[in-house]
Amino acid sequence: MPNFIWENLFRNSNSEQTLRQKLKSNFLFQDLSLSQLTLLERIVNVRSYRPGENIFRQGDIGVGMYLISEGIVNIYVEEIVPETGEPKMAHVTQLKEGDFFGDLALVQENGRRSATAIAHKDVVLIGFFKSDLMEIAGRNPTAGVKILLRLGEVLGERLRETTAKITELKKKGS
Amino acid sequence: MLEPTRSQRAIIIERRVKLLAFLCSLASLFSFILFVPNLLVSFLSALVTYFLLAPSVDYMERHGLSRLFATIIPFLFLTLAMVITIYLFVPDLAQQAGSLQENSQKYLETASALLSRVEEQIGVMLNSVFKVDLHNQFSPQIYSWASSFFKQLPAWISKSATVLILSPFLAFFMLLNGREFVRLLIGMVPNNFFELALSLNYQISHQIGGFIRARLIESFIVGLFLWLGLLIMGFPFALVLALFASLLNIIPYLGPIIGALPAFLIAMTNGGSPTELLTLFTIYGIVQVIDTVVLVPFLVAKIVNLHPVTVVLSIIIGSQLMGILGMIICIPVVSVLKVTSAALYRHFTDFRT
Repeated sequence: MPNFIWENLFRNSNSEQTLRQKLKSNFLFQDLSLSQLTLLERIVNVRSYRPGENIFRQGDIGVGMYLISEGIVNIYVEEIVPETGEPKMAHVTQLKEGDFFGDLALVQENGRRSATAIAHKDVVLIGFFKSDLMEIAGRNPTAGVKILLRLGEVLGERLRETTAKITELKKKGS
Repeated sequence: MLEPTRSQRAIIIERRVKLLAFLCSLASLFSFILFVPNLLVSFLSALVTYFLLAPSVDYMERHGLSRLFATIIPFLFLTLAMVITIYLFVPDLAQQAGSLQENSQKYLETASALLSRVEEQIGVMLNSVFKVDLHNQFSPQIYSWASSFFKQLPAWISKSATVLILSPFLAFFMLLNGREFVRLLIGMVPNNFFELALSLNYQISHQIGGFIRARLIESFIVGLFLWLGLLIMGFPFALVLALFASLLNIIPYLGPIIGALPAFLIAMTNGGSPTELLTLFTIYGIVQVIDTVVLVPFLVAKIVNLHPVTVVLSIIIGSQLMGILGMIICIPVVSVLKVTSAALYRHFTDFRT
């Protein structure tokens, strides 16, 4: 069953696009003007991953988020099996082109990754990290504020979803 | 433990090759900077200019100017400031330096006589238990240092001219395209070290930038106070002595002492009265107290948190490897090593909750 925390609620349709278009179609960057997108395009990091390659692991110190440019990424959470006491990787969700993940690391100080992300096929990711956010906020504060407001919205929406789910579970339990 | 699959083995090999390529590129870059004549000093002074101007370039870019114009404007101001400084201070500085060179023989003789006197006093105190021969041991050394200093002065001036042309050129492109270049370099890092490299780059540039800005402000204030003090006292070569002391002030602990020595030597050679020596001592002392009590805690200590023993050891190693330049750059280099090793240690040992 896909995990609601990792579901991308802000997915847009994504076909053959340039880097700038891909950034523009992402929820976090959709308010940016052309010049702000040009600056962002120069700041982000494009990375390629092989099938089965770790993007990050649960417990690592997170430094930023990734936007999927091409390919599929699997998200796993390490769980302890109660019967054996052994750790086991549980598949949580599968993220596709246009999805983004790891965004909590942008606002956390030395926050740990809550899951492991592994490339399912050949994957191209656009990395946007805390240092990039600081750079964009320093060089173009308006763009920084626009990104942070959207980021706040994403995190707020996830919190609302979590609260609703917890309430639902509590109701089921009682 | 599970054996890695074929595809995992391929990923591991690819990562190792990429890491090797990245380390080789980094090593080639460092070797190029280290071994091409004049490039190290030019690069270091360009780095200082970069960190000094970067906040104003970012400020102008924030207010709507393109990066190119935001970079050109501070350079125009810097050139103007340099022209004004040269016009106002260089004739005075050249005259004072020339006069200092003319009188150098006199000052060296005083230093030699001072050594003989110290030797005599020590001889009386130790009463021939240990035979002390300071005069014969140190005098030739002092004469050789002084003569080589004045002999190397023309070569040093021509080297400075190369640095003076090369360093603004490098600084300009560091400000304009430096971040893209660093991003390109970090782009070569394999995926498993990429986030670490990015985070390290941010921490290191933040720390070095803060350190350089703090040290420059500190040196400027120290030099200004010394110049004013010596000027009010009516001491000769005030500008040269203040400049020398402010430059050496960058070296922790030893710098202020070496920086103060020429002034005392000049005062003693000119037959300075005890009152004059006391005034000189008070001026240097007050400036050092201001530096230690106000400037260092508020400007520098917050940025580089190194243990005093580490600082002293770094200075010794720096001086052995690269002389005065080594003594100046050892602290930022050690603080970078500290940040890097702490981050690497955390990465390899503490990656799981």
